[in-house]
Amino acid sequence: MPASASVSSSSSHHRASPDLLVRLGSTDPEVKLRALREVKNQIIGNRTKKLSFLKLGAVPAVAAALDAAQSELLIQSAAALGSFACGFDAGVRAVLDAGAFPNLISLLSYPDDKVVDAGARSLRMIYQSKLAPKYDFLQVENMEFLLSLLSSENEPFTGLGASIIIHSCQTDIEQNTLCHAGVLKKLINLLEGSLSQRDGSLESLATIMKDNPEAASKFVSESGRALSSVIDLTKDRYPRTRLLASMCLIVIRNTSPCHLQDIGIKTKLVYLLLELLDDPGQVGEEASFVFSSLITQKEDLQKLAFKANALDKLHNQLLNYSSHPRRFQGILLVLADLCSNLESCRSKFLSLKALKLVTNALTNDNADVRAAACICLRSVSRSIKNLSAGHFTNEVIVIPLVRLLHDPCTSVQVAALGAIGNIVVDFTTHKSTFVKCGGLKLLVQLSKSMDPTMRLKALWALKNLTFLADNTCKEGILLELTTPLLSSLICDPEASVQVQALALVRNLVDGCINSVEYAFAENDIILDAIGRQLQSASKAEIGIQGMYVLGNIASGNEFHKDAVMHQLIPQVNDGDCSFIVKFLRSNDSQLRTAAIWAIINLTFPSSPGASSRVIKLRNAGIVSQIKTMVNDPSVDVKLRVRTALGQFMAFSDGSA
Amino acid sequence: MSLFWIVIRQLAEIEAMATSKKVITKEEWEKKLNDVKIMKEDMNKLVMNFLVTEGYVDAAEKFRMESGTEHIDLATITDRMAVKKAVQCGNVEDAIEKVNDLNPEILDTNPQLFFHLQQQRLIELIRNGKVEEALEFAQEELAPRGEENQSFLEELERTVSLLAFEDVSNCPVGELLDISQRLKTASEVNAAILTSQSHEKDPKLPSLLKMLIWAQNQLDEKAAYPHINDLSTATLEDPAI
Repeated sequence: MPASASVSSSSSHHRASPDLLVRLGSTDPEVKLRALREVKNQIIGNRTKKLSFLKLGAVPAVAAALDAAQSELLIQSAAALGSFACGFDAGVRAVLDAGAFPNLISLLSYPDDKVVDAGARSLRMIYQSKLAPKYDFLQVENMEFLLSLLSSENEPFTGLGASIIIHSCQTDIEQNTLCHAGVLKKLINLLEGSLSQRDGSLESLATIMKDNPEAASKFVSESGRALSSVIDLTKDRYPRTRLLASMCLIVIRNTSPCHLQDIGIKTKLVYLLLELLDDPGQVGEEASFVFSSLITQKEDLQKLAFKANALDKLHNQLLNYSSHPRRFQGILLVLADLCSNLESCRSKFLSLKALKLVTNALTNDNADVRAAACICLRSVSRSIKNLSAGHFTNEVIVIPLVRLLHDPCTSVQVAALGAIGNIVVDFTTHKSTFVKCGGLKLLVQLSKSMDPTMRLKALWALKNLTFLADNTCKEGILLELTTPLLSSLICDPEASVQVQALALVRNLVDGCINSVEYAFAENDIILDAIGRQLQSASKAEIGIQGMYVLGNIASGNEFHKDAVMHQLIPQVNDGDCSFIVKFLRSNDSQLRTAAIWAIINLTFPSSPGASSRVIKLRNAGIVSQIKTMVNDPSVDVKLRVRTALGQFMAFSDGSA
Repeated sequence: MSLFWIVIRQLAEIEAMATSKKVITKEEWEKKLNDVKIMKEDMNKLVMNFLVTEGYVDAAEKFRMESGTEHIDLATITDRMAVKKAVQCGNVEDAIEKVNDLNPEILDTNPQLFFHLQQQRLIELIRNGKVEEALEFAQEELAPRGEENQSFLEELERTVSLLAFEDVSNCPVGELLDISQRLKTASEVNAAILTSQSHEKDPKLPSLLKMLIWAQNQLDEKAAYPHINDLSTATLEDPAI
């Protein structure tokens, strides 16, 4: 090792010499300084070196130098620590564990500007990581400190301020606190600053306004220039600035429906993001996610994007970026959003032969990509035309999808369930491909999951599988699912799961008369479960599905009708009114409709036991309840009430 | 009258002319040019911008003294020039240390630049015939860059292939040993430093000249008028009739 003070050393690219730690801890400031510089210059830009120095335990040794009183030592130490933390979570962890954070903060008030800058830069690096300590905006001194950072002329300071906001501002209380403290005004000023100040400001503003209409309005009204400054920045020469500006505008428009809704700005944003997608680097990667946030659940924007030939561009990107996981994920998600509502997009997608690329992505190494591919398939398979044509039910798609039900990653499983849920609605009665490759077994397994979302989605897919299925298929499903499991799902703790379970039964008993028998399997446990749940139904939707099941069953023979009566009006009652009366009084017109329909089927004139059933219904107060609904506001309900009353009249003995 | 004045006036006049098609004689044109007002301060700023961006420290300082035009802290220009010079002389390690002293974030946030600097180091080692060291360096320093980022692999392979050739100056990738490669890297570093200091990395003057040529081309469709064809002399040439 050359001992001269000249820092150029031909062997400095060698592995860290073993005495480095010793030299870092030296009491001789010259030796220590040289060691610090050596570490710094080796690790900057070099992730591999950062990792190896980390493992050597260099971070605590470097952090210890922050105790020194010499500017040069402080600068080098801070710079090295900042570099360890730059884009490297393990480094951030090590720096924080070494207790360097408070020392770096104290550098901010050091008399030497260079030391201050070094400290600010390092802290900013730390705050770019999720591991940074949370900044408490609600404490007055903290807010004052933040404001002083943002008001400073000094770039590292404003940069630090912005990164603190971007990192720590999460709740709406925090967002509002920042607004009320006057942070918006400072950030608006920074929009006219240097490149990094503009970028930092844009990102901070987006963070503060996200999902907070009050904050968004406050920003717009803060100054006449505020919104126009951001709009101008969408034309900036730096792509990253354009991206951040568009992100900011999108946050405002999504949060606050009275701003930025005109066609001009919408078109501008669509074209801007499509252009940014061309960037081969980080900007292009992030652009796809920002594009998603623009068009998700917004049909008008999806239409604009379609007209701007977004699908062609995205298809090309699928071809070019399949080996860049994050980017690939982003593109798949945009495609999912684009095809979520519009058949025109889905047709175009399929005509471009993009389906194959997405199907290939189902077996990608990266879990996020796999999940995104499933989400994309779910959107595209909403095309009834193509679903019926069988484009999604061939083995090429079904087999890898079903395999994903085993995926080690839960989010992939859930996403796969979403796609499968659509694909099994294939309008043919066979569905054999799916069942043959073990799909049914897996769905049933997942419907027993501890995770309520998983149960819900699995059941949803099973429900769709049962839709218009033939008897062989239905029997197969019930055999695999088992009656006890189905009953317990009807009584699931989650209301949404109950709804799907009931809808599944509804699909089971739909169809030919024999189908009704399914509800009576194994001593009526399904029917009993339905009756029990309807007693305690917590959501209208549960009542609706349940009543349609009962209504379907009541279209059967006498035995079936009596069984339904038994559920409606249990023998042992002490004046408790039947749940059906509650349903008939419900605010939800769909529920009222479903309830009346069941009554109509029960009292169908041509069936032998109808008159005794009418008497029972009358005794339970159900007939009089229906009489009050003659002028129901819903046409559907009114018409059925009329039918029901007509049927009652046929059995009337003259009394009311 | 300085060439600069002429160019700028020409540009302003063309923009005004863009709406009517006709033939304009040199006399008429010059008369119109004289009516165009250009501020001296603006021109001075343009000149200063050029000197600073290109790194002509002494000239910038002298110009400041003589014209009173302000500029950024010259020390930062000096630092930046030192880095650029180090790369141009092949002292890449020295350049890296200087950049890190100037702003430790630059190389940490510019993987492509860092890779190119490492690549240049390797090239210099090979140029100096230090084959052993070059091999070791390639393995320890450049290979990880390729692992960290796949898009560097191709260039990495090209550079490493230099080691395979006996006569490096005559091999397919021999251009890597050219001085032009050093200049390319130096330019990249210069641009990165300028951006980090929030200066535009390109001077304004070339943009102005490009605009002039473009504007003349546009106006050609609508009028015949005196052109500036030679930018270095800024002479007005008679319109083609």
